[in-house]
Amino acid sequence: MIFKLSDNIVSSLGFTTAANYKAVLEGKSGITPGKDAAGNPISISRIDAGKLDATFQDTFHVKEAYTLAEQAMLLSAHIAIQEAGINASSDRTCFVLSSTKGNIHLLGLPSHDFGKDRVHLWHTAKLLAGFFGNPNFPVTVSNACISGACAQIAAIHLLEQGNYDHVVVTGMDLAPDFIVSGFQSFKSLDQERCRPFDARRKGLNLGEAAATIVYGKEKKPGISLVKGSIRNDANHISGPSRTGEGLFRALQTAMEDLPACEIAFISAHGTATPYNDQMEAVAFSRAGLGSTPVFSLKAHFGHTLGAAGVLESVIALKALEQGLVLPSTGFQEPGIEGEINVSKSLSKTDKRFCLKTLSGFGGCNAALLFQNAL
Amino acid sequence: MEELILELKKQIIEALNLEDITPDDIDTNAPLFVEGLGLDSIDALELIVLMEKNYGIKLEDPGKSKEIFKSVATMAEYIQKHRTK
Amino acid sequence: MKKITSYCRITDHQVILNGNKLNIAFSGDTGSSRLTEIYRYLDAGYAKFHKMDNLSKAGFLASEMVLRSLDYDLEIPDGSTSVVFANKSASLDDDKRFQETINPNNYYPSPAVFVYTLPNIVTGEVAIRNKILGETSFFILEDFDAKKMHIFIDWAFLSPGISRVLCGWTEYLDGHCDVLVMMVEKDSPEGMDFNTLNINQLY
Repeated sequence: MIFKLSDNIVSSLGFTTAANYKAVLEGKSGITPGKDAAGNPISISRIDAGKLDATFQDTFHVKEAYTLAEQAMLLSAHIAIQEAGINASSDRTCFVLSSTKGNIHLLGLPSHDFGKDRVHLWHTAKLLAGFFGNPNFPVTVSNACISGACAQIAAIHLLEQGNYDHVVVTGMDLAPDFIVSGFQSFKSLDQERCRPFDARRKGLNLGEAAATIVYGKEKKPGISLVKGSIRNDANHISGPSRTGEGLFRALQTAMEDLPACEIAFISAHGTATPYNDQMEAVAFSRAGLGSTPVFSLKAHFGHTLGAAGVLESVIALKALEQGLVLPSTGFQEPGIEGEINVSKSLSKTDKRFCLKTLSGFGGCNAALLFQNAL
Repeated sequence: MEELILELKKQIIEALNLEDITPDDIDTNAPLFVEGLGLDSIDALELIVLMEKNYGIKLEDPGKSKEIFKSVATMAEYIQKHRTK
Repeated sequence: MKKITSYCRITDHQVILNGNKLNIAFSGDTGSSRLTEIYRYLDAGYAKFHKMDNLSKAGFLASEMVLRSLDYDLEIPDGSTSVVFANKSASLDDDKRFQETINPNNYYPSPAVFVYTLPNIVTGEVAIRNKILGETSFFILEDFDAKKMHIFIDWAFLSPGISRVLCGWTEYLDGHCDVLVMMVEKDSPEGMDFNTLNINQLY
């Protein structure tokens, strides 16, 4: 078990957790109309690059150039570190980076001044830790869309094994043409805002974000990450298993002996593709969570890939702290077969546990169990 | 039409990395999905790219695509009617 | 004490399985063709192999040899084995290939190439082939580092019900293959001790 000291989100909805959470409560979405590289209309959640650059310069006053992805990552980590009041340069602090494609946009730039190593994720992680003067090698997780959960599970191991007092977990991904084109070729994007779990859902929207959680190992009241689990479907590299095998097993392991009735809600993956949402419902039902309230945040932020696991945990945990179950934005008409309780409106809860689930290409699935202790 | 069918088979083999298969191995009228070549969802998407790249045909509706990709024969028929390249 | 019960090392010049060099005379001059030659040598009978990108092919082949050497049963769903790989270049080899399909002058994004632009897909391919239902994870390191890999692999054993971890270094970039896949088992009486020294020796 590890304990949350602070968090941050940098996204289309703002550069602080407070701004992002407020936007979610107000039903706001950062997803707006855009175009892909071929000129086709898409709906996408982009970070305001100009605003980010200005904020970055105001905050750090550095001469070196940083990519947008790096700026988002560094700003997010910085704000969370400040709030936690920890010493990021201590050898008792370790960084964990979660990202699927990092600086991949550099592949599409005919010439740039960033050097050939800049496109590598190991370089991005080293830059993250180095920026804060941290001497330890940063753990870099690249496990498709579940990376954000994997990074938090790595934090559990790092802290429980006693070598560190604090772990800074940062997830980051942008949506350059490389990624947008790829998802377009999969025909898995909805031209309009996505509708998770809805009967009319057509696909996902991509999103850009960086999000950070700072964890410590000293027991304290409030939010803790109790357990996490990753399991594979062993079915198909891009299609989810119809029986939700991997997610079911991950949930079983993450919940262990905790009865389903103790769970306030599940912050689901809910990408709004026809197959993902159905698969999640099957897995929830098999795990005895068929009547547990479920919501997806994808209609606010889009699918932020390597950032999703961290970002969506942050929002879910804010709700848990406040004893709230968020509505699943974008959901109107039930479109899932079988037992599932999609949350339709904001409601109160006095339960103290919640789950965060994610699924990704490669057949991987993850479940995180959080507690809000008094 | 025969020429188109042979051409199409060669293109399918290349686009889908069907390494151990020759055009003679592909039955023109056999189903491409589930049975026959046993293609999957990614293969279907790749065939959509093939249609646009080689024949200038844009397929937007995945439902319609299912009918077109039933067999090499149905694909060739559709291409002949709608090709712009 | 955890043991390494089988290992396979694939480089540009040779393939070694548990200390024995495989008798494959590479005739191909590209990394990709060499991988296909290894596949044919193994007679793996898995047509999906040809759809994979080079990273997945390399990891798949090494895993195939390790699992075969242990008489692994492909048919039984296995919830007690996990797959943990690491490398330096992530999926950059396939990323470059995908970038070519989105050239503004010849813009035809390929889904079959895009799906492999994630380094963890190789763990998925291995899991599918062998019905592995445990954890699959992927880490990025600046270079091969036995000590760090030892840590990640140890973590996988902390998950309930996991007694074996198929693991190692799966690096492939620009025609160069640098792979070491091992099976590490919790309760095996045989094999070499799972420690940093031995991992380095195998590499």
